[in-house]
Amino acid sequence: MAKTIRSLQIRHVDAGSCNGCEQELTALTGRDYDIQSHGIDIVASPRHADSLIVTGPVTDTMALPLDRVWETIPRPKVKIAFGNCAIGTGVFQRAYASHGGLADSDIEIPGCPPHPETALRLLCEWMTSHRRSHHTYIS
Amino acid sequence: MPDSWQLTNRDHKAAHHELLTLTASSDCSLRTVWLNPSDNQLSVAEMKIAEESFPSLAVHLPETAWDEREIHDMFGWIPTGHPDLRPLIRTPRWPETYLPLRKNQQTPRWLEVEPDLPALKVEGDGVTIMKVGPTHAGIIESGHFIFSLIGENILHLDAHLFQNHRGVEALLEDKTIDKVAPIVTRICAADTVSNQTNWASAVERLVGFTPAPGTVLQRIILLEAERILSHLNDLAQIPAGVGFQVAHQRALAMKESWQRSLELLYGHRFLFDTVHPGWTRSAPADLLLDSLANLHRQWVPWRQLVVGHHGFADRMSGVGRTTLAQIDRFGAQGVAARAAGKTFDARQSTAYYEGFFNGSVTRSAGDVQARFDVRLDEVEASLQIIESAAGQLEIESPTELEFLVPKDLSGRIVTFTESPHGLNSHDVTLVNGIVFRYHIRSATFRNWPLLAQAVADNAVADFPLINKSFELCYSCTDR
Repeated sequence: MAKTIRSLQIRHVDAGSCNGCEQELTALTGRDYDIQSHGIDIVASPRHADSLIVTGPVTDTMALPLDRVWETIPRPKVKIAFGNCAIGTGVFQRAYASHGGLADSDIEIPGCPPHPETALRLLCEWMTSHRRSHHTYIS
Repeated sequence: MPDSWQLTNRDHKAAHHELLTLTASSDCSLRTVWLNPSDNQLSVAEMKIAEESFPSLAVHLPETAWDEREIHDMFGWIPTGHPDLRPLIRTPRWPETYLPLRKNQQTPRWLEVEPDLPALKVEGDGVTIMKVGPTHAGIIESGHFIFSLIGENILHLDAHLFQNHRGVEALLEDKTIDKVAPIVTRICAADTVSNQTNWASAVERLVGFTPAPGTVLQRIILLEAERILSHLNDLAQIPAGVGFQVAHQRALAMKESWQRSLELLYGHRFLFDTVHPGWTRSAPADLLLDSLANLHRQWVPWRQLVVGHHGFADRMSGVGRTTLAQIDRFGAQGVAARAAGKTFDARQSTAYYEGFFNGSVTRSAGDVQARFDVRLDEVEASLQIIESAAGQLEIESPTELEFLVPKDLSGRIVTFTESPHGLNSHDVTLVNGIVFRYHIRSATFRNWPLLAQAVADNAVADFPLINKSFELCYSCTDR
């Protein structure tokens, strides 16, 4: 039976960000944006997660650890590119140790770094559309 | 026998000068630039690399140990006599022949092996090895830590950083002047204004241009606004390290309110793209003063909350201690250094700040509490600096001077500022309007080795707290 999404439990991996995306993710957990009240949370282990947020252009040193975290998250799961670097449109795409972002993300949250309001809106919209259409989101 | 390169640099250190940069370039030159804080004069020492090696400074100047390992990784030149020449940045995935900062290098095909490097561990009865990272349980940057533990206590920490190494310095090479600022702005979100100001000053000084007094005031305001933002973030994280959630959440809310002010004033919550060669984004004095008053209203009760909490003070005092002798030995910088009694603050040596900077904030204990307290006082000092600079904005005319960059601008220059994390230096070489070499030396690069010393003998459960009290960003270290 196809599962629909009611909440997002997110594991975060920094793959070469400037720390701006991390600070805005932290802001999302604060009282002004309060992502938990929307059914979204950042969790401590990939085994507790159903989604992965990636920041940064994917440095070569982080590429394998990133894959490993993704493999550890149980299916169904979604991959979220947070910020221009992870999407593949940032300024570090062509640096030699950068893999140029994610090739296979399900959700893109643009910005350098993304505004927390934008991030919250896009995540909530994604959840709503997937709840209504009863789409599967198995990766 | 030490040679003249070693002797000259040792003399600078003995005279308590501050090392701004140790830079290698693909023209086989090696250069240090030292700042004498008593007269603000810069001294340059230079040597030519012959036969792919140079005499190491690391034994007598431990602050150069990482610089020399970086040079070894990036250029392949060997610092002769270096006590620990393990790779710092390069991983087993890099092809052996790939030396990114030598010219004419092709982007490599990475080898299909694990990126892990050999770790320095303590061996013996009862010693446990605990590996943490590179991915972490919370929202933080990536770093790989290998702890040697005896019981609950840390015997040794081997920090493997550079997981976030993108290759920024190589990326900057061969760029025309107009392409540099968007990259420099994004090296590190916490120290972005400091990095932007270093680049803008480098170009302006090579051109021989003096920014208008109004522009200088706006830069001071931006640099201090960034310090407040970064310190608010760190002051929010330290209570989180001991589970003091009320102080953590209220400080995050205060930071959010400050970011909203910055967005209103400058159009960006982290002040990206605000300082450019020849011009600076400006904000009107009345809106600035409103934002200060708004922050101050939240700050006063929050400060009372954290200062009056004995349980919080007990958890911070005596934890993660560093001594002034360690600070001097490692050439540590910024809040971490001043919390142990070092008086240097690069603002005292920056012409911009004449009449605005009223002396550095120091403590002597060198523990988590001292680092917390230095930040508390520095936030208040920054609020005052912005207030007095905003007051002068009305006197100074806001007009920008005409700024023209010659197409063939060439030269080499070292610029520095006091970022929220400490002394931040850039060594820039331009040839015919194009970047030949761009070296970035952040304060956190100097402070990471000190963190490893500070955590020894502490309970491993206190590592997050001690780490947060240093709040060393990874991105401007890893680049």
